[in-house]
Amino acid sequence: MNNENTPSRPFIQRKRWLRWLAGMIVGNLTIAILYYGTGLLLRAIPYESGGDLILWPSFFLVPMFGGLVASYIWRRLNPRISGTIGGAVGTTLLGIVGAAIVFKEGIICLIIFSPLLLVVILAGTLIGRIWFKGDPTLLRCSVLPLLAVMAIGEPLTRTNQPRVVTDELVIHASSAKIWPELTAFPTIPEPPAFWLFRIGLPYPQSTTNVGDFVGADRRCIFSGGAVFKETIAEFVPRVKLTFDIVQIPKDPELMGHLSPTRGEFRLRDNGDGTCTLIGSTWYTLHVRPLWYFDWWTQYIFRAVHLRVMEDIRRRAEAAS
Amino acid sequence: MSGSRAFDARVFLWVVRHGRRLARIPTFPYLFDALLLAWTSLTRPSRVAAMELLEEKALQIDGVTLRTHRFGGIEFHHETRGELGHVHGHGLLDVRLTRKLAGELIEKGRVRGHHVFPASRWISFQLEKKEDVSYAIQLLELARQAVRRECAAASHFPRERSA
Repeated sequence: MNNENTPSRPFIQRKRWLRWLAGMIVGNLTIAILYYGTGLLLRAIPYESGGDLILWPSFFLVPMFGGLVASYIWRRLNPRISGTIGGAVGTTLLGIVGAAIVFKEGIICLIIFSPLLLVVILAGTLIGRIWFKGDPTLLRCSVLPLLAVMAIGEPLTRTNQPRVVTDELVIHASSAKIWPELTAFPTIPEPPAFWLFRIGLPYPQSTTNVGDFVGADRRCIFSGGAVFKETIAEFVPRVKLTFDIVQIPKDPELMGHLSPTRGEFRLRDNGDGTCTLIGSTWYTLHVRPLWYFDWWTQYIFRAVHLRVMEDIRRRAEAAS
Repeated sequence: MSGSRAFDARVFLWVVRHGRRLARIPTFPYLFDALLLAWTSLTRPSRVAAMELLEEKALQIDGVTLRTHRFGGIEFHHETRGELGHVHGHGLLDVRLTRKLAGELIEKGRVRGHHVFPASRWISFQLEKKEDVSYAIQLLELARQAVRRECAAASHFPRERSA
């Protein structure tokens, strides 16, 4: 047999899966390198000196660029739409696993982040699929200035403004019965119903306080031993309890992403034997895009509020 | 055409009608189209299969290549006649014909007026399954012929804005 005359299948046909995997890895490495490089830049240029404004990795653009790079690796596979979607899903999963292992990111954060990451990476891979289809040797560099402009321009929209989420609950009890139940409470016996609590997000279990006066220390204890240290800022019996959150647990789901700063319970007498309990939490988000993560934050805080407020309602109504 | 629109179609129409300024934000149309496509692949995989077949068949038309459409989606571009049409992430094919031809096809009921410019030379056709592709290819062929006639007969007129 003359091996020289036998047409060998091209490497890319034999090892298609390898090229898919290579695209996913290179795409993720690109994202990681761009984020890391930006992090280094930000360390070199102090925040106060405008480091944040000079270059902060755009939440959208870096993963999109990673998707483009992955598509460039996949270009000889001539992927169809479904193949590109599969590749984007694989790239996203690899990125999520990598972030959990390498950067020790919290699982819940990654679950929240993953749909957005998938869409952004998918957008990049879809664009790349078309761009690199015509001439696989062509490297479209025209996108780079656009990405650079957007990466620089995007931080101009960033502001760390405090936000608040508020929930209300009507309790069939007098303020005299409710008030003792909200200043401190023992372990909430109800198992968590909220789906994120069930899969590992810490949930409130109990609260302790050293006294009913301004300046008194409180501790809000979450599952898994997470403790929020608080100090009472305002104390108006049967009307208002406000506390500053002075220390948050070193939890990967919270660190660097979110700063809860203040909490408050208000009681409003409805004059019909019921009271409305109003629970509020003030916080600052450090991750973008704000609209996306703010929706999740409010969704989660609402679940936290309602777990605590429902327990207060149960105990107050049982006591009256 | 179905009287009640699916969730993805309603979201798409709402965004293109009420959020047209968003299209000016660079990359937003691509992100939105990727979102539509991801949703469609989960909820209506037959549409994605039809889009893939359409792409394959359209590339067999002489002179047609694919481009990214500036408002998101895949553009079917003819080398001399420009854009023939484009398909959005949820399988909505927009095709550029002549006004007369568009009116005739809309009257027959299989296509509808363009989702943003209903009284224009653009028509919209929703791909649902692979069986729809042969008709979609006919539409693109009609677009190619329509643009050719248009170019020959009225090349001095300014071009209508792309949808």
